[in-house]
Formats: sequence, C-alpha cells, structure tokens
Amino acid sequence: MGSSLSRLTEKTNVWPWLLLAPLGIYMLIFFVVPLIDVAIMSVTDPRVSLVNYQRVLTGALYQRVFLNTFMTAAFVTVCCLAVGYPLAYLMAHSKPRTAMFILLLVTMSFWTSFLVRTYSWMVLLGNNGPLIALLQMIGINDTPQLLFTRFSSTLAMVHILAPYMIMSIFSVMKKIDPALIRSAESLGARGWSLFRHVYLPLTAPGIANGCVLVFVICLGFYVTPVLLGSPREQMIAGLIGHQIDEFLAFGMGSAMAMVLLFITFVILTIYHRRFGLDKLWG
Amino acid sequence: MNTFMRFAGILVTIFIAAPLVIVVPMSFSSASSLQFPPPGYWLGYYRAYFTDLDWLIPTWNSILIASATTVLTMLLVVPATFALVRHKFRGKSVADLMMLMPLAVPHIVMAVGYYSYLGDLGLVHSHFGVILAHTCLSVPIAFLVLSANLKGFDRNLERAALSLGASPTKTFIHVTLPILRPGLIISALFAFVQSFDETVVAIFISGRDAETLPRKMFDSIRQEADPVIAVISTLLFFLVLVGIAAPYFISALRSRAPKPSRSPAGAH
Amino acid sequence: MTSYLELSSINKSYGNFTALDNVSLSVEKGEFVTFLGPSGSGKTTTLMIVAGFEKASGGSVQVGGRSISELAPHERNIGIVFQNYALFPHKTAAENVYFPLQMRGVSRGRGLRQAEEMLSLVGLKGFGHRHPKELSGGQQQRVALARALVFEPSLLLLDEPLGALDKNLREQMQIEIKRIQRSLGVTTVFVTHDQSEAMSMSDRIVVFEKGRIEQCAAPLDIYHCPQTSFVAAFIGESNLIPATVANAAARTAENPVLGSFEYASADNRPTDGQAVTLLIRPEHIKLSRNPVENRKNVRMIVDTIVNYGDNALVIGRAGDIPMRVRVLGADVVIIKEGEECCISWAPDSVFVITK
Repeated sequence: MGSSLSRLTEKTNVWPWLLLAPLGIYMLIFFVVPLIDVAIMSVTDPRVSLVNYQRVLTGALYQRVFLNTFMTAAFVTVCCLAVGYPLAYLMAHSKPRTAMFILLLVTMSFWTSFLVRTYSWMVLLGNNGPLIALLQMIGINDTPQLLFTRFSSTLAMVHILAPYMIMSIFSVMKKIDPALIRSAESLGARGWSLFRHVYLPLTAPGIANGCVLVFVICLGFYVTPVLLGSPREQMIAGLIGHQIDEFLAFGMGSAMAMVLLFITFVILTIYHRRFGLDKLWG
Repeated sequence: MNTFMRFAGILVTIFIAAPLVIVVPMSFSSASSLQFPPPGYWLGYYRAYFTDLDWLIPTWNSILIASATTVLTMLLVVPATFALVRHKFRGKSVADLMMLMPLAVPHIVMAVGYYSYLGDLGLVHSHFGVILAHTCLSVPIAFLVLSANLKGFDRNLERAALSLGASPTKTFIHVTLPILRPGLIISALFAFVQSFDETVVAIFISGRDAETLPRKMFDSIRQEADPVIAVISTLLFFLVLVGIAAPYFISALRSRAPKPSRSPAGAH
Repeated sequence: MTSYLELSSINKSYGNFTALDNVSLSVEKGEFVTFLGPSGSGKTTTLMIVAGFEKASGGSVQVGGRSISELAPHERNIGIVFQNYALFPHKTAAENVYFPLQMRGVSRGRGLRQAEEMLSLVGLKGFGHRHPKELSGGQQQRVALARALVFEPSLLLLDEPLGALDKNLREQMQIEIKRIQRSLGVTTVFVTHDQSEAMSMSDRIVVFEKGRIEQCAAPLDIYHCPQTSFVAAFIGESNLIPATVANAAARTAENPVLGSFEYASADNRPTDGQAVTLLIRPEHIKLSRNPVENRKNVRMIVDTIVNYGDNALVIGRAGDIPMRVRVLGADVVIIKEGEECCISWAPDSVFVITK
C-alpha cells in the first residue's frame, strides 16, 4: 500500500502528519511562541500584575485612541464601500477591454506597497503639491494644511484599502448569472427597485467580505497613519509602536497589542461563524 | 441607476490611478524637495539612487531576504498543502484554519512579539531573524495560492500515469510537478512580494545591519521626504506593471509563434 | 476454455454500505466485455478494483492465471482510458503515447517512432506534435486509446469514454474502438450506462445493479432471455405483466385481468403457482381492430400515439396494465387515440422471469 499519492484512502495514516510536521513545528516556534511572548509580557512587565490592562482599558488617553481607531476604521470602511462598489460595478458591466483596463489599474494599486502609495499621497497633498496648486488656481489663496491631518491619513487609507473592497465585491459580481437579472426585469423590476431587491442582495456576500477585510486591516494599520496622520490623533498601531520605540514600555505595548488582537479575533470569529474564514482571502 | 454607477465608476478610476501615476514625473523632478509641478527634469535622483550605498545596501538586503524567505516558505508550504488538499484526517479543518492565522494577526502585534522574542534569541538586526519572521507572514498567502491550484488538479492524470507504468515517485516528477509548476511559481512570487514589501515588522527588527528597503524608505520619509523615494517608488511601480503585464504578452507571443513540427519525415 | 481475467467473489464495503456483493466473472482472452448498469450500480467500482485504484474488501483478481490483487496500479500492465481522457497537457500527443514506453526504458527516438505508428493506427497520422488542447474531443479520445494500447497491455479498460461526445461522433468512435480492439486482440472491459452502446459493441454484457451482477451473457441472449426483471426492464423496451404459473408442464400462466397466457421459454424452471413476471417486447405485439387467430388476444385502450415516421409507439392500457406497442408507421393509421383496439402476440414472444 505504502504512501501512493493516488490512493484515496479514508484511513488515518501517518503520511499527512509527516507532510504537515515541518510547517507545523516551524509555525509553533516562530509564530505561536512570539505571540505567547506578547501575552506574557503584557502581564509581567514591569511586574506580574494586570496593571497594564487596567491602564489600557480605563485610561482616558487609551480609550480615546481606541475610539478614534474604531471610528476611523468604520469611516474608512464606509468610504471604501462607497468608492469600491461603483467601480466594481463598472468593471463587471463594461466592455471586456474597458473592464480589463480598470482591473489592471486596481491590480496595480493592489500590488504597489502601502509605503509607496502613502508616499504618493504625501506628494499629492504636500504644500507644494498638485492639490494645493489646484486650489490656488481656482482662487483659494489661504490654503489649509492638508498633510499630517486626519483628512490626509483617512484619504490615503481609503485609497490603499479600496482595492480589497473592489476585488471582494467584483469577484461576487462576476459570478452573478445575468439571466437572473433579466428574469427579474421580465417580472417587472426596474431601476432602483431592481437594484435594491435583486442586485444588492446578490452582491451582499462580497460587501460583507470586503467590509470585514478593510475594517480589520484598518484597525491594525501602522504605516499610513504614522506617516500621514496627525500626531495628536493616533491610532492603536501607531501608539503601540510609540510605546515600544520611544519608551521601551513592552508591558504597555504588549497589553495594547493583545487588546487589538482580541478585538480582531472577535470580529473574524463572528465572520467565520456566518460565512467561513477561508472565503475572506479567497 | 446604470448611468449613475458608470459615472461614479469613472470618477473612482481617476481616484485610484492618480496617486500611482504622480510619482513618475516626481522622480524626474530637479527640485530638492517635493514640488509640483516640478521646476525642471533631470535624471539626477536616479543617478543618486544607483550610486548611493545607503540605498543600494537596503535594496540588496530586501532582495536577499525576500529570496531566502521565498525558498523557506515554499519548502514548508508545498508538503503541507499536499497534506491538506489530498488527505482526510482528524483535525484537518483546524489545520486548514491555522494556516491562515498569520493573516488574522495585525503586523504590529507580530512586530512587538518578534522584537522581544528574536531579541532574546539574539537575532534582531540580522538577516536571519527577518527571514524567520517574514516566512511566517508569507506562509498563508503562498498556501492560499498553491492550494487553489492543487484543488483544481485532475487526479485522473496521476491515475493515468500510474496505469501506464509510472511509479508514484516517477508520477510526481513527470506529471504532478510539471503541471503544478505555474501554480508553484505564482505562489513563490506572492511570497517574494509579500516579504519584499513588508514594512511594519521590518521597521522593528531589521535594524541597521539588515536594514530592508521599506524600513529605509520609512525612516527617510519620516525624516526628510527625500525625492529619491520617488525614484524607488517609480521603479517599484514599473516592476509591478511589468510583472502584471508580462503574462499577457507571453501568451500573446506564444499564440502567434508558428508551431514547431516535430513529427518525423513523411507523417503527412 | 481458460479464462484470462478472473474476478472471484469480489466484495467492497464502505463502512455499512456494501458497494459490491460477491462479484464473480470470467473473461476470455480477446473478449470485449461491457459492464452495464445505472449510476451507483458498482460497475465503475469493479473496474477500479481491476485497475488497482480501489482495494477490494474481499475476493481476488487474476489475469492470465496470476493474481494481481497485491500489485500496485503501476505494476499491473493494464491500459486505461478515462472518462475525461486524462491526457498530459504539458506533453504533445506523441509524447503522451510515448510515456508508457518511456517508463519501460524505451529510448526516446525509438519510442516516439512507435508512438507515431500507434497514432496512425488510431487514425491520427501526423498529429503527434499537437498538444491536447489543440485536439478535438474525438481526437483526444483516440490519443488516449493509443496511449493505453502502445505498450501491449494484458487488459484494456475503458471507463465511460464516450459520454462527452455527440451522437454521431459517439457512434463513429464505437466502431473505431471495436475495429482497433479486434485487430489487436486485446481483452477489453468497457463500462457504460448506455444500453444501446453495450448491445452494439460487446461480445458479452455484464449487467450490474446495486453491487451485484444480474446477468452476464451475449447481447442477444440478454435481450431475448433476461434473467431478472431488472435486466428485462433495463435492456430495450419491455412490457412486464405480473402473473402466476398455472401449469408449468403445459407452459401456461394466469393474470387476473388478462386471462391465460401461453409462454415459450423461461429463465429458470418455474413451478406451479409461482409468482412470475411475463416479458413481451413491444415490437412483438401486433395491433388490429379484431382478434387474430392462433394468437393471444387482449383488448387495449389507446392513450397516446407517438409517430416517429418510420415506426410508431402506441401507449395504452390493457385492463389496468400499461402496455407499449411498436408498430410500423404505416400500420398505425388503423387506430386513433382514445379508441379501443386489439393487441395480440404469439406464445414465442412471451418470456417468463422468475426473479
């Protein structure tokens, strides 16, 4: 019998475990243990106690940062949806050439690193940049500071995360059978009601998928808020980095990290119960 | 509804495209700081990038680390994918989920963990440390791509090979691997890009000795927004463009090339 | 006559579910045998056990007198044509056909030449350099056949290979496969659910149902003398009439509605009083306005007439028993739907099934 690749046996045999072992052991040592390290640090630094969690969960500063992060993530998610849905729709309903062109653009954006795209926004929104120049051209001389504000940070995050939303929704839209729409039309549905009662529900899984993905990534976003955001309105990731970098306050940083992790896990678990996690990154 | 959607779609397209495109002219700008429109154009900053060791070393570090990460990731992921796609066993659904875990953890959390953990092991600020960390982060994406490929693999091809006299090993070498090759390449590519672009963890653990390109860029942007970054951005942007457009060109060229006739003489 | 392929008491269970129950079969060298049955009847499972891709829970498989049950699939020297052809997409047609020779150590030059010869045999001369995706379904079929035969296997197994082809191509390929099989003399097992395919191609048909062999006989034997009512119903069209044997010696049976029947033959020896099924093929029934002499006559109410031009199918009821009658197109004009008519048959056309 041996370990023939083509045999479809249902018996439990040793072979799959042997194949999984290298990766399993590796992940245990280099993924699970560091996380456990974070958990331990959160309750042992500076001393064995729950004081870090106490400060993180009840301190005014921290509560404000958490709230800010949540609100921003929610706002970014809504904007991504507003921006992403029409584009996905355009991609799904244009001529193949056009659709491919837009898909190319979205894919390009998707594959360009967060860092490069963040930098692009710095260029765009800079005091000597094109947006300011545009405003000056239409006569606004007292131009506001665009960079290092909540506005710049949020705008850049929407731009960076939109492709995730677009791809999620588009992949669902692509699979919608046009015959369904046509039969709905033949039964009398038109325009807005067709959209609301037929098309929108059909795309709902894609919307849910995209929203969860964008929200979760936004919660833990480090690069863009730190580079483009206002120092007075930090998000969690930036604050954690600050604690570690500037103060070497591992305990506090770890506690915040654990809270962030917990919230992320809760959201993903809810999604998994309803939809199945493997679909999220499908 | 239709026209509204289309109009909004076009606006969004511009929104998506503009920031990508803006870095290109900026990289040729002769100004010493970010200025738009650029006062003049020159290749000075390109020259600066390609001659400045402060930039070339991190670039090389990133290439090195990403390559090693890719190799390690594939070595671990390929057998695991076979196990998960082709075998049934107790705990399989849990194992399936575990493969995706690193995607669920925010990088900042991993960064804190690695900073402390690799620090204890003495591996912070070393290539090896970054490779170890990046491998964990690349595993899920490599797995997702490869398992999708493997799930679509026609098992009858392997059965046919066996029936024709190929031992299981020979079947794997002559049939399974060659057919799986495109999937393996794409999986490796995803792993490579994931490591090359990875910023957050690299910021914390790559340090001066193993400084990666993203870390250098991050520090640079934070400090003085060096125009050289526009150069790097443009170069990276074009690499992505080539990477995405290449498959289309290759298949277009293949379909136009004349088919080589390998049948022996007189086979018509 | 020594058998070449011998299946002895093959059993296969998955947990509580019995897929195969005591399957035994002898196939002679050079014979073309068809496994016929509905989906889930066990025909493909049996084939896979012969091929070595499934392991039987009990029983053994012998080829040429030697047991192959313990051999791995790659050691069995059996050629298989799969339902989806399973041609290697990364190799050309010639390389595909060369593959089994390659595995047996034949040099590339000699092997490719042999492959080209084999391709000519299946009617694909000059196609060797093409990749599978450049070939039509029928052409891929032929390459798969060539590949399975080039190494002179002891057996050829075909798993519903013609399912994906359209009707004309299918009939063409049926003739092709038969021709090639005859010229090479290779012992062949063909799996299908299409009974007309089985009828036209086989030396013998093995009818499977629910994991057991219902009957194994030549096509015409199966058609005229089915051993069970399942076989009778599965092959060809049939009228099945429940009855009781009145007098086995005189070969008469009784049906409460239709009266007394004479019959000519039975699958086993029926005993008096035994409950049996009477089989009458629709084309053996004559349609008329009035009773015919020397035949069993019964009145039938015509429900539907389907006229195919050259022949017609008349569906109706004799008492409460549904009947189907096949007549020539010209003969059907004598009756109309809704009318009553007379149907008749000779005792020769009545076959008694005891199972």
